[in-house]
Amino acid sequence: MKTAASTASNPRAMARGHADDGRFVPGQPDMWAFVLFEALVFTSYFTVYVIRRTQSSDLFLQSQSHLDLRVGVFNTLVLLASSWFVARCVQAARERSFRAALNNAYLTMLFGFVFLVSKVIEWTTEIERGFSFTTDEFFSFYYFLTGIHFLHLLIGFVFLGVAVYQLQSPARRSQEMVETCATYWHTIDFLWVLIFALLYVMR
Amino acid sequence: MQSPSDKRLLYVWLALSAITLAQLALGSRGEAASLTPNAAITSSAVVMALIKVRFIIREFMEVRHAPALLCRLTDLWIALTGVSLLGSYFIGRMI
Repeated sequence: MKTAASTASNPRAMARGHADDGRFVPGQPDMWAFVLFEALVFTSYFTVYVIRRTQSSDLFLQSQSHLDLRVGVFNTLVLLASSWFVARCVQAARERSFRAALNNAYLTMLFGFVFLVSKVIEWTTEIERGFSFTTDEFFSFYYFLTGIHFLHLLIGFVFLGVAVYQLQSPARRSQEMVETCATYWHTIDFLWVLIFALLYVMR
Repeated sequence: MQSPSDKRLLYVWLALSAITLAQLALGSRGEAASLTPNAAITSSAVVMALIKVRFIIREFMEVRHAPALLCRLTDLWIALTGVSLLGSYFIGRMI
């Protein structure tokens, strides 16, 4: 009875036809292996950044003061919204509301695109003010971390494209694939949350 | 009409946005032109970020419904990141 109740309380488990205790990996397990690997790689980048920062704190703080915290907050809010919409997309697809799922996927793309444009404007502004990759160590880290995140975001659009392609036709729909694409997109989001704290807020 | 799942996702997004605005207030403390090292601001910023990360993983990525192994692995990574960042910061300041 406990098993049946647990599964019944988890609509996701019911939608995917799983099983007993109502628990299973969201999306494909391979994607989770990749996510954990990427997360560890970024943790190593962040740790090197913090160590270097503590060794030249005056330089890092001086350079950090040239970043606009409000732009960082705006970018974070935009990416959090995109993550919210892709979570809604997964939920709608599970409830077989495919029109709503597609609309949420398009909104995810829109907010992701706003983030990309905002980031390019921010980079352009900083370069015009004379702060480039070679200006100092802080800006080297700034362009490296935001640049590699930007690259991941571009790849995220490919995954969103796959999700939209899947959702458009009843013959292609796969809940597992939509969840896999969403898992990648959320990874971009939580990595940015850490980048924002380390580049814009920490002292 | 929103489903309970939609409402839950909305509340999570609102909480994440509220923490981000709290980070804005935190980062705005003091004169921007003369930032000084501040362990309290740094610790708060990192802890807030890790809380947001855990919210995203548990709620948006639905790890709260996942097998215990995935829950533990993601929590382990969050803990490792926290220890690594704060440890590097405080040990680095002493060297």
